[in-house]
Parts: sequence; structure tokens; C-alpha cells
Amino acid sequence: MVATHTSEERELAEMIIAALNLEDVSPEDIDPEAPLFGDGLGLDSIDALEIAMEIAKRYGVQIRAEDEENRRIFSSLRSLSAHIQQHR
Amino acid sequence: MNPPVRSAFVDGISFWAPRLPGWELARQVLRGETTAPAEPARRPAPALLPPTERRRAPDTVAVSLEVAARACEAAGLDPATTASVFASTHGDLAISDYMCDTLVSTPTLTSPIRFHNSVHNAAAGYWTIATACYAPYTALSAHTSTFGEGLLESLVQAVTDGWPLLYVAYDIEAKGPMATMAPSAGLLGAGLVISPRASAHSRLRLDWRVVDGASHPPTVASPGTLALVQGNAMAPCLPLFEALATGRGEVSLALGPGLALGVEIVALECRG
Repeated sequence: MVATHTSEERELAEMIIAALNLEDVSPEDIDPEAPLFGDGLGLDSIDALEIAMEIAKRYGVQIRAEDEENRRIFSSLRSLSAHIQQHR
Repeated sequence: MNPPVRSAFVDGISFWAPRLPGWELARQVLRGETTAPAEPARRPAPALLPPTERRRAPDTVAVSLEVAARACEAAGLDPATTASVFASTHGDLAISDYMCDTLVSTPTLTSPIRFHNSVHNAAAGYWTIATACYAPYTALSAHTSTFGEGLLESLVQAVTDGWPLLYVAYDIEAKGPMATMAPSAGLLGAGLVISPRASAHSRLRLDWRVVDGASHPPTVASPGTLALVQGNAMAPCLPLFEALATGRGEVSLALGPGLALGVEIVALECRG
């Protein structure tokens, strides 16, 4: 069963779906604790850059390509949302 | 002295515009056998693409992949081993407008996906990804002479390489301030498979020569056909497709200053 989203996670999921034009995906389909990249949603490194750009635009939070924490930050919707809330 | 006339064969034809979605319908409309639908069709879905590329595909890719696939189908050609020429007057002016606007206002917030799609050879690149094609492709633009130059390039490559070649010409809607300098409306895609030799798929012969532009002004399509594509920058392709639809006719296509491509379409005898 998919864990429940916080309102911030839901908003972020909606932003990702719109920014990446994900086909046939609704926010409920994105498990907040599942890996964002790899098999599940089929996202790749260009998508990571697009998401980082959208986050900078919407939340004013800069995620730099060379940040060593990126693997952890982008590991799931939950960790990405938490990072945004801590830094906005 | 007249330049020599050379011949090639048309093995596949495709066409897509919102009011002329598909060659079969377009052919009938251009022959005056039926009228175009009043409602514009939705942009074609680039079904050939894997999901990641499909969701990133801009209009240039959607319309050009549609006509590329249909032309190869008609010619019975395997796209994976077919060389191609992709011609577009303006490339993706919607993305060019976005890029200019963003670079002026917030340059560090440029979308990597749109940047990746902004290049003129995006459509050709997506086509070769979709079909796992390693044959060479050419992407070209020559302003208002783009269609004629693309056709000349295709004819020369088909003849010199000795293989059938896919020619795709397309333009999309221009956006923003650049639309006032480089106007284009709606979507238009046209495809041809050109073969240096007659094959079982050949239905028409295309006799061509490069001629003096001053004495061979570009052929203009009929007002009815022009009205159906509403000012798309690839409209110079229409006279040739009118001739292809009827199976006969001579057209002159602009090749830039002082030159034109003279083309005569001749129907081949029906084969059993």
C-alpha cells in the first residue's frame, strides 16, 4: 500500500508530473518513500535537472549539480520534499 | 545549354496537417474528390518513441515522426537502415522564443528538457532514436528555399549513394516576437521516399534539373490548398504534393538566389 502524502509532498508530486509531462501518472501513484529514479517512474538525469530547475523557480531552493547530498535528496519524494521545506 | 534532366522514383508519400491528416485524405482533397474536414485533427502521437522520449517530444518531433513513419511504411522500407534528410525552415520557434525569453529574464532557470529540444536536428535525432537507425541523416534549413533545397539534397544523396532515402519536411507554429520576423502557423509535415531505381513500390517518376531561377519562378499552390495550411512556413512544398496527388505536373521550387529546382512528375505504368 502506498503511504499517505503530506500536503507538501502532494504539491511536489503534482509539480513533477506537470514539469515532466508524465503520462498516465497521478500524484497518488508516486509512493513518497519509493525511489524517484530508475525503473518506477522511468526518470533519468535530464529529469533530475528539470526537477531541480522547477524547484528553484517555485520554492527558491537551489540544488546544485555538484552537491554530494543529491543522491540522498533525490532518493524519494519524501526526502526531496523535506529538503525543500528545510531550505525554503 | 539546358542542364541534363535526371530521374528518380517516388516509392512512398506521406503528409500531415491538421485539416489534411494523412496522405490518403490529402490526396483525395488535392485531387478535388472530397473536401477537407472542417475540424482540425489533434497532433499525431509519436507512438514509435519510448515513453521517456515520447513525453518530451515537442510538435516538431510529433509531426515529423508521423510522416517519416508513414512514408517508410508506404515504401516498404526498414527505417533502421534508411538514410534521411530532415528539412525545416525555422526548427522549433516555440522553444527558441522560450529560450530567448528565459535567457533575458532568468538565465539560470532554463529548462534542460527544452534546451535539449531546441536544436534544429531534434526531430531527426528523435527519429533515429525511435527507429534505432545508424544510417546517416542530414538536417537542413534554407529559409524560404528550405523545401526545394531539402529535396535537391535528397535527390543528390539518393542518386550518388544508390539507395532509397527518406525526405521529411516540416514546420510548426511560430511564437513570440520572432513570429513577426519568421511567421509560421499550425503544423505541416510532408514525407517522401526517393529511390534512384524503380522498385515494386515505385508509382511515380520524378524528373529533375537545376534551372535558372529568374525564368522559373516558384510554382504557387492553388488558393484552396494554401487556405488549408494557413500560412505554415513549409507551404512551398504544396505545389509538388498537388502534382503527386494527380500523378502529373511540372513544378518549380525555389533554391535560393538565382536558382530553382525544376521537377516533372510522371505516373508509371501500373504493374500487375
